[in-house]
Amino acid sequence: MPFQTDRTMMIPQALRGLLLLAALLFAAPLVRADAYEAKLPAELNTAPRLCDYVPCAEVLPGATIFSERKGRPFYVEGYVEEGNGRRLAGYVMLSTDITDIPAYSGKPVVTLIGMDANGRFTGSRILKHSEPILLLGIPESALVRFNQQYLGKFVGDNIEIGQSRPEEDIIGLDAISGATVTVIAQNQVMMSSGAAVARQVGILERTMRPQARLLETGATPDWATLATEGSVKKLTVAPEQVGLPRAAQPFIELWYGYLNQPDVGRAVLGEAGWQNLLARLKPGEHAIFVIRSDGKESFKGSGFVRGGLYDRVQVRQGQDAFTFRDLDYLNLYGLAAAGAPRFDESAIFIIRSDAFSAAYPWKFTFLGNRVDRETGTRSFANFDSEYWLPAHYLDGGRPEVKKPAPPWLRVWQTRRYEIAAFAALLIAVAVVYARRDRLTRAATRNNKWPVNGFKYSFWLISIGFVGFHLMAQPSITQVLTWFHALLFQWRWELFLTDPFIFLFWIFIVATVFLWGRGLFCGWLCPFGSLSELLYKTGGWVGLKRFQFKLPKVWHHRLKWVKYGVFGGLLAVSVFSMGLAEMLAEVEPFKTTFLVGLFNRSWPYTLFAASLLGLSIFTERPFCKYLCPLGASLAMPTTFRWFGLKRKSECSSCKACAVGCGSQAIDEHGRIDQRECLHCLDCMVLYTDDHACPPLVHERKRRGKAGLPLTPIGANGYYIPIKPVPAAATANAATANAASGIAPQS
Amino acid sequence: MVDPRMLTEPVQPPYAAEGGGLRRLAAELWDHLWPWSRSGFRHPRTQLRALQGAGLALALAVSVVWVLAAAGRLEAGAVIGWWFGWSVFEVIVRLGAKPYVKEGPWWGRRYRAASLMDMLCYVGFKNLLMGAALFLALKSFGLLVV
Repeated sequence: MPFQTDRTMMIPQALRGLLLLAALLFAAPLVRADAYEAKLPAELNTAPRLCDYVPCAEVLPGATIFSERKGRPFYVEGYVEEGNGRRLAGYVMLSTDITDIPAYSGKPVVTLIGMDANGRFTGSRILKHSEPILLLGIPESALVRFNQQYLGKFVGDNIEIGQSRPEEDIIGLDAISGATVTVIAQNQVMMSSGAAVARQVGILERTMRPQARLLETGATPDWATLATEGSVKKLTVAPEQVGLPRAAQPFIELWYGYLNQPDVGRAVLGEAGWQNLLARLKPGEHAIFVIRSDGKESFKGSGFVRGGLYDRVQVRQGQDAFTFRDLDYLNLYGLAAAGAPRFDESAIFIIRSDAFSAAYPWKFTFLGNRVDRETGTRSFANFDSEYWLPAHYLDGGRPEVKKPAPPWLRVWQTRRYEIAAFAALLIAVAVVYARRDRLTRAATRNNKWPVNGFKYSFWLISIGFVGFHLMAQPSITQVLTWFHALLFQWRWELFLTDPFIFLFWIFIVATVFLWGRGLFCGWLCPFGSLSELLYKTGGWVGLKRFQFKLPKVWHHRLKWVKYGVFGGLLAVSVFSMGLAEMLAEVEPFKTTFLVGLFNRSWPYTLFAASLLGLSIFTERPFCKYLCPLGASLAMPTTFRWFGLKRKSECSSCKACAVGCGSQAIDEHGRIDQRECLHCLDCMVLYTDDHACPPLVHERKRRGKAGLPLTPIGANGYYIPIKPVPAAATANAATANAASGIAPQS
Repeated sequence: MVDPRMLTEPVQPPYAAEGGGLRRLAAELWDHLWPWSRSGFRHPRTQLRALQGAGLALALAVSVVWVLAAAGRLEAGAVIGWWFGWSVFEVIVRLGAKPYVKEGPWWGRRYRAASLMDMLCYVGFKNLLMGAALFLALKSFGLLVV
């Protein structure tokens, strides 16, 4: 059976070819994504000898001896061997020992950071990240290069993403185009990790705050009053917050409060207890109490040994962290306040630092571990609650506190002019489209510039300013991220960090419900604009004879593909957001605008270039048949409020349908709003009495009958001429004569 | 003759003629929440009637799922799975029982026959909003863990 044998041989060959092509497509970018979801040693987060598991010498060059983890938060000391002795070279820290700031993916970028003994960064190494953009969109080396910008910079400098502003003493770092959220988070990780260790080891001075002048009112509030006024606060950690199954009992429930304040101290400890405490406190020392009222987890920690640190609780004020050793601990046997909760673990901790001031807000922090329910890996997590002594216990009340602006706000502030320009663009597009009737009436089939002048201008702005400059190309990945954020964890900061995308989506949502997806897709999408501009340019430069539309039957088959792509991505995202983001490379947006056609591996460049090349010959092939973003917007477009106008004659006339570039008008003259891209060509014809057949017919009829041409009404027809009865005319003339009004000559 | 102003043929649901604003809104709200109709159950095709009955049973099952979720006895993934499954079935049920969608603004009174795509869009969007609202409500009360 040679024939059969040949066929069976052919199939594996074809499969091999496909697999090879797939491998080429995906392998090139993946080989550089070493740290994406890298499997880290289980001991990494707990082992005393951190440097046995990670390359500490790489981030602290010259150091050959490394200590065990020490301090709180943890760090490692690195030493250089010199003769018989050794010299402190600097410090190495694991970012997740210090902060749990999430990046774009919602997970932290695990970074090993080196800092010399003078507080200058000496190196960093990304051990693990979950950023999809760095898996496929942007090479991981971009993040490595970003981190290299910290080399030699002092940990106490004001380092921000963006341009340097010497007048404000701010050092700017170059961002990674298209990964703004990731680098803003990474900057926070680098700076907060470095600062936390630098403060512990004395490189950075603690902020000195004026001490509180406490007022004594003589009152003895009960527990409920203390809780209501905020003198005692509760911190509850639920099991699910640390990755454990949900349960009725909290993981831990703690109450805490500031004892130096006389009224609070007396109420909580009783007169004798408070006096006893005061006798133990030296000037500049502060006491807080902590009790566990529920839960089984110990806040003192089971691993605590004499001389060590209480590693599960901490007080933070501003950038300063205050930890407790055994000498900072006093027993607390009971609470005097009426109505105080029962407790089974208690402590009084002493803060021995002038830098702490009860006049300013501070945070009580419970330091724990969160177990990832999918992978079982543990990561550092902290849970805190803010405490600020009530104003009536402070002489002069609470001082004014300026909280540092969050990173997203800094982005909005530093890019305010671009944001204003972008917002103006969005408003201009909406206003122009809202007044489309006026524009389409001014245009004719042979002169569409009253409409196209605006549209082409918006395309150019969209491509140049929005696409290449702002890189604000909306993407299906944002839809997936929003969908997941809505269900799982909504973080406003994540969306606010990119102001252009944020504003764009407000525009998109509003206009989709008003007019349908066509306004965004047809007038403002950078890739769509580029695609159609190429098509128009192709026509203008003499390629019109090569330009084509797909036959209707094929168009109506292929238009469903984009819905399939969208549905597939949505389904995949439920199981793996990372995989969905990889597959979202079906959008050539990153290649075109974010990374650049010549900065990506060739399969992506080839794909994007092919689509753009095809766009010269057929109008918007990607938008019509592949775009998952377009599909996701087309679905709610079904319920858009205001559609385009039609006449009853449109059911038999094909004038608009023939010229419809998006092939959205069917054989009955009906417009499929999901496919319409609002080119407005049909609306130009609608009121053109030399192009719209019903109007042409009426114009000719009136011309032959010697009737005047009245204006075209909102319904697309000439306003009808209604003859006034002769009797009525005579009556009117009589009335005019009686009132002395002379007829016009 | 085809009306080119609508993508499909215009239809009038039973409540469309009802007068008062609030009464019509209430009727419309009910229409969103209740995918079945008397005409669906009395349809001459047995298969369609069976489908309606099965839909009713599935809706009960999904209601139980939400109750279980509210009692903290179901994981988020299971709730989403059930809700998705129900949404697919609701499309089929509505195509038999209430095969129309609104045309134009929500405050208007124009309706048209629903194609499969129209119904997918309608049920998908409606159930996304409903599911998200229920999901967030349960989450905010701490009853559902994600």
